[in-house]
Amino acid sequence: MVEFKNITYNYSSKSGIYNIDLNIQDDEFCFLVGPTGSGKSTLLKLLYFDLFPDKGEVNVLGYSSSKIKNKDIHRARKKIGVIFQDYKLLKQRTVYENIALPLHINGVGRKKISNLVNEALELTELSHYSKKFPNQLSGGEQQRVCIARAIVKNPDMILADEPTGNLDPTTGHRILRILEQINKEGTCVIMATHNYKLIAEKSYRVIELDQGRMVSE
Amino acid sequence: MIDKIAFLFTEGLKSFLRNKLTNFLCIITILINFTILGTFFIAGFNTDNLTNFFRSKYTFEIFLQEKVDLDQSNAVIKQLESNPVISSIVLIDKDKSADIFLEEFGEDVVDMLGYNPLPMSLKVSLEKSNFDLNKIELLISEIEKYDFVDSIEYRGVYIDNIEDKINLFIFFFLILVIAIVFISIQMISNTVKLSMSNRSDFIEILQYNGASNMFIKIPFFIESILQSIIGALIAFLLVNYSFIVINSYFNLNIQIDNFLWAWMIGLSLIIGIYASNKAMKRILL
Repeated sequence: MVEFKNITYNYSSKSGIYNIDLNIQDDEFCFLVGPTGSGKSTLLKLLYFDLFPDKGEVNVLGYSSSKIKNKDIHRARKKIGVIFQDYKLLKQRTVYENIALPLHINGVGRKKISNLVNEALELTELSHYSKKFPNQLSGGEQQRVCIARAIVKNPDMILADEPTGNLDPTTGHRILRILEQINKEGTCVIMATHNYKLIAEKSYRVIELDQGRMVSE
Repeated sequence: MIDKIAFLFTEGLKSFLRNKLTNFLCIITILINFTILGTFFIAGFNTDNLTNFFRSKYTFEIFLQEKVDLDQSNAVIKQLESNPVISSIVLIDKDKSADIFLEEFGEDVVDMLGYNPLPMSLKVSLEKSNFDLNKIELLISEIEKYDFVDSIEYRGVYIDNIEDKINLFIFFFLILVIAIVFISIQMISNTVKLSMSNRSDFIEILQYNGASNMFIKIPFFIESILQSIIGALIAFLLVNYSFIVINSYFNLNIQIDNFLWAWMIGLSLIIGIYASNKAMKRILL
């Protein structure tokens, strides 16, 4: 499903990721860990084709970084749900409208949208917030909206970039539980975090990065 | 698919209503440019009418020698009528000439002099559709050579001058149209860029959620279409009613093209869509 073949990406001479070789399976749950600036977000950005490697090749869900054309990137992204640390929600839209957005993009009919959004709201325990606007919600609630938006289209893969970064430990655990539940249903989840405490009690695969290099797996 | 189209249309409409300032600026830009364009179009349209008016008035008069009689002059008419640049020839005999003299000067020439010294003449009208000043001048120089011709009176040179000036006006009008179209494209394109950079977060979120460039562009196109229609429609109403008022106030007969609204809105739409596409191409790679 995901294959990194000797990937190098340079922001400058001192930062980037270097010579990464990696394989992640279809239904895996794995953590990308490392301190700030270790290259976790870069690795995720390479996965949803926000960045392209300077060297090597990334293969994701049948799309190759060396072959994909600009006009086809959206096709790959339709299969990927991305969760951002800063949520990236539309402030002028309600929770319901934010979650429904990927379904509108995919051309889903209005009735089906309503059913799928309600399912996602239930899973993320946001049913009572559907008519609220993001700025009326707490950080944890906004992060759950972001998760609901990522899962509503039933993606093949969820990429979560520091989803618990701004949250208290209890809310962090709650978010992790939701992601675990999604993974149990067969969706690959790759979660970048520098919260070692959160992952300590879990037995999932951990890929550790430091200064752009993979140091342990 | 219908749900997707409805969603995109609603998005375009919502964003049109939400971004009041940028849309207002864009509509004002279109309104100013199309008011100028519409005014010049009416001027251009009437210049064409003016040229046709001059051409319809363009006649020349052949004064015949004293010795030419009626039969000879009829033969001359037959000979000239076959020329394609001539539409009609009217014979003004000596009596008619005296009547014209009486009309213009209030004196009867026969009473004054005891005889009629006025020559017979042929008033030649020209075909408007085959109007070619060079051909006409060539024809006049040929007619001048005939021995039955005393003199020819024509004002071709003056009309030629007026037509030159009209053509110069049309040339500047075309340059102005091109300049206004170019300025409109630049201004609308910059407004769209501004609008897009104001909504860069929205565009980014759409992209991360798998939206194609076309999906992102359509609401902006809808916005541009609304701006173009509103701007051009107001400009048309302004120009149209201004000329109606001018016509009635100054008692003029300035013609307004029946399809002025159609070409103004059409051109505005073409410019709006082209300018938006140009702006979006640079932002959405």
